[in-house]
Amino acid sequence: MVSSIIRIKRGFDVRLAGPPAAAVADVPPSATVAVCPGEFAGLRPRLKVKEGDAVRRGTPLLEDKAVAGFQLCAPAAGTVAAIEYGERRAIRRIVIRRGASDEAEALPRLGAGGTAGLAREAILENLKATGYLSLIRQRPLSRMADPAVTPKSIFVNGMNTAPFAPDLHVVVRGQEDAFQAGLDILGRLTAGRVYLCLGPEAEGDGPAVNGARNVEIRRFSGPHPSGNTSVHIHLVDAISPGDRVWAVKGVDVVRIGRLFLDGAPPATRIVSLAGPGVRDGARRHYRVGEGTDLASLLADRLAGASLRVVAGDALGGERVAADGSLPFLAGGLTVLREDPERRFLGWMAPGFGQYSASALFPSRWLSTRKAWDLGTNLNGGHRAMVATGLYDRVLPMNILVDQLVRAVLAHDVEEAVQLGLLEVDPEDFALCSFVCPSKTDLVGIIRKGLDEAAAEGL
Amino acid sequence: MKFILEFMEKKVKPLYGPGGRLSRLFPLYEAGDTFLFTPAETTSGPPHVRDALDMKRYMIVVIAALMPCLLFGIYNAGRQYDVVNQTGLSAFGHNLYEGALLVLPIVIVSYVVGGLWEVLFAVVRKHEINEGFLVTGLLFPLTLPPTTPLWQVALGITFGVVVGKEIFGGTGFNVLNPALTGRAFLFFAYPAQITGDGVWTKVADASHVVEGFTGATPLAIAGQVGAGEGLVPALERAGFTLKSMALGLEGGSIGETSLIPILLGAAVLLLTGVGAWRIMAGGVLGVSALAVLIDLVSGPDAKPFAHLPFYYHFAMGSFAFGIVFMATDPVSAAATRAGKWIYGFLIGALTVLIRVVNPAYPEGVMLSILFMNIMAPLIDHYVVQVHIRRRAAYLRSFRHA
Repeated sequence: MVSSIIRIKRGFDVRLAGPPAAAVADVPPSATVAVCPGEFAGLRPRLKVKEGDAVRRGTPLLEDKAVAGFQLCAPAAGTVAAIEYGERRAIRRIVIRRGASDEAEALPRLGAGGTAGLAREAILENLKATGYLSLIRQRPLSRMADPAVTPKSIFVNGMNTAPFAPDLHVVVRGQEDAFQAGLDILGRLTAGRVYLCLGPEAEGDGPAVNGARNVEIRRFSGPHPSGNTSVHIHLVDAISPGDRVWAVKGVDVVRIGRLFLDGAPPATRIVSLAGPGVRDGARRHYRVGEGTDLASLLADRLAGASLRVVAGDALGGERVAADGSLPFLAGGLTVLREDPERRFLGWMAPGFGQYSASALFPSRWLSTRKAWDLGTNLNGGHRAMVATGLYDRVLPMNILVDQLVRAVLAHDVEEAVQLGLLEVDPEDFALCSFVCPSKTDLVGIIRKGLDEAAAEGL
Repeated sequence: MKFILEFMEKKVKPLYGPGGRLSRLFPLYEAGDTFLFTPAETTSGPPHVRDALDMKRYMIVVIAALMPCLLFGIYNAGRQYDVVNQTGLSAFGHNLYEGALLVLPIVIVSYVVGGLWEVLFAVVRKHEINEGFLVTGLLFPLTLPPTTPLWQVALGITFGVVVGKEIFGGTGFNVLNPALTGRAFLFFAYPAQITGDGVWTKVADASHVVEGFTGATPLAIAGQVGAGEGLVPALERAGFTLKSMALGLEGGSIGETSLIPILLGAAVLLLTGVGAWRIMAGGVLGVSALAVLIDLVSGPDAKPFAHLPFYYHFAMGSFAFGIVFMATDPVSAAATRAGKWIYGFLIGALTVLIRVVNPAYPEGVMLSILFMNIMAPLIDHYVVQVHIRRRAAYLRSFRHA
């Protein structure tokens, strides 16, 4: 319960327009819901249902050939309407048409004794059997938690410094019991501590978050990426070779808690919908069905014709199809304007309408409060990497970014590990890539580096 | 501007695009096209939004920072010409005119010849034309005497671009600063046109020069002063005070004589963050520290530079120009923060060392920077090794007992 604040100076807040309001609105359930196995890296699916089968909420749809016991389950009750295949017969989507009732499977649930009566193995089995284990990520390498591992600590991320992520306090409101139950469950999974990482205390904070029990609260202030899990771990309980740390998003703790309180995967959850591509007044939090059709969430809520829907935040998220379904792992959606516009003599123009973290544009010197309607323009061409020193200004970790990136590019995994590869996640490099004048894809480079390190068995 | 865009898209692009008659010259089209309009490319993955800063903007800031030096260099070259040759035309406008006649051909030849090589390598290697050349192409002429023959300019920039940069793989991979490499080449290949007293000012008619004109620069005078003699009085006899040398209305390489435009350029580089302040600060510290140290340990009959007050070093020669514009080239400099301090400090210290130990040597800063360019990867290597050790210790501190 010790609360201390860690001040972070390095970083940069991208002042993207259109943050989500704290209000929560209900979205009526869509006619179909879907599960996309492609979302789960490393999954080797074996189907357990066929088209036409009746399923309940929580009925296993497929199991993983890689991690024994790991399954993906139906997010709602109904019938399997379609199993869609993509390239090389990979299962792209399993679509379920909702039935009249929303019956759920009966899974283990917390009794009166709380988590004390639940064995660690039973918890892990339930997390695997429902697919909820994928909400717990393991460092190093940022993969799904390995159930065979006992992590030295677990980090719960309750911050949202990236543009944009749901506000934990908003999501927990009305679900205080589930949040605390989720934290208690996590406490059973580690021999060490559960750290709840939060921003500075603010008005409107929920008591269930600020007063969470059985966790150590750590507070961080400062610009993005002060809210990134890698930064929290680095400053609170850094990863040495051989260490394993688990990390969970705060909003997902509510889902895990719900799973164990209800004895079934929750039918709904709260996500954020934000960004310049969302219509005024529609940027807020929504209670939506798991796996819901995005069309039902996005219809009438977007502004503009050519838009990009990103699962997650504008910096680290992944593009999703607007006619797809709600990704299981994303906490929210950010909608951006596609912007292929070409500006005349852009290199020479003063650039009052351009946004930059650098001092080379007026945006740095003029208004510091203005929000920017940023589109997806690359704002330049790809060039050779030049060691400008800009990267180090936006990653508040004891890491030399230029050197780490070069070691990864040279496939020198050993040196990359010495330089901190095992402490990072690709999302940490999104801001470095944002400021890069050579427009280098640092996120992709680090992702490949982590894959290589994983292939070497680290 | 839309009609230009449409013209480029409809008429020009097909020529250079795949299957077009000039498709081999696509990098040239890309350069011209993105010179006119920012690229239409959108982000392919995270991050989905990007900073407005690109390499073009980055390099243009360096060009802008160099503009005061170029303009002052033009004015100064013309003024020296008018004064020394007693043209009787001392108006500011005429100074500029004469200076432009001297300097602009050098700049143009540098850009045209260097640009041709840049385009050739881009076409052969099938990569974009890197904007870094725009800086090299202007830095190089500013390091030359205004009387440099144009064929030597062409040869120098060729050597700088090809040997200094392209054979290493182009921008981002070069070890040496290309502009300085070109200058060093001319310095060793054609010393008669780049050193000595006769190259800094154009003399139209040797029988009609102003009385007492020798053409010697402050550094050259320092080389002729005997041991034990005071350097400051010797400089003053030749008409060089600290103030006049800082002002820089004197003979010298085109861009380096005056501190004022250099400091203006430095301010631009520092305010925008494009120039590494650690390198500049390290250089100033290096000069000051070694000059003071040598002053303290030298006897009364030491070489003349030994007892020169340290701040004279900033006004004399090209140290200021070198440390602000050459040493801060991000590709050939040290990349780590600590490395930048060390790199800058050693450039400053080496410059003073060369001046003191071998005053007959016309200028040490060029070779100091080139030498430290070569040393920069080594400095970075040791900085990174220390970093790795410290990181390991930091991680160990979290080990549960």
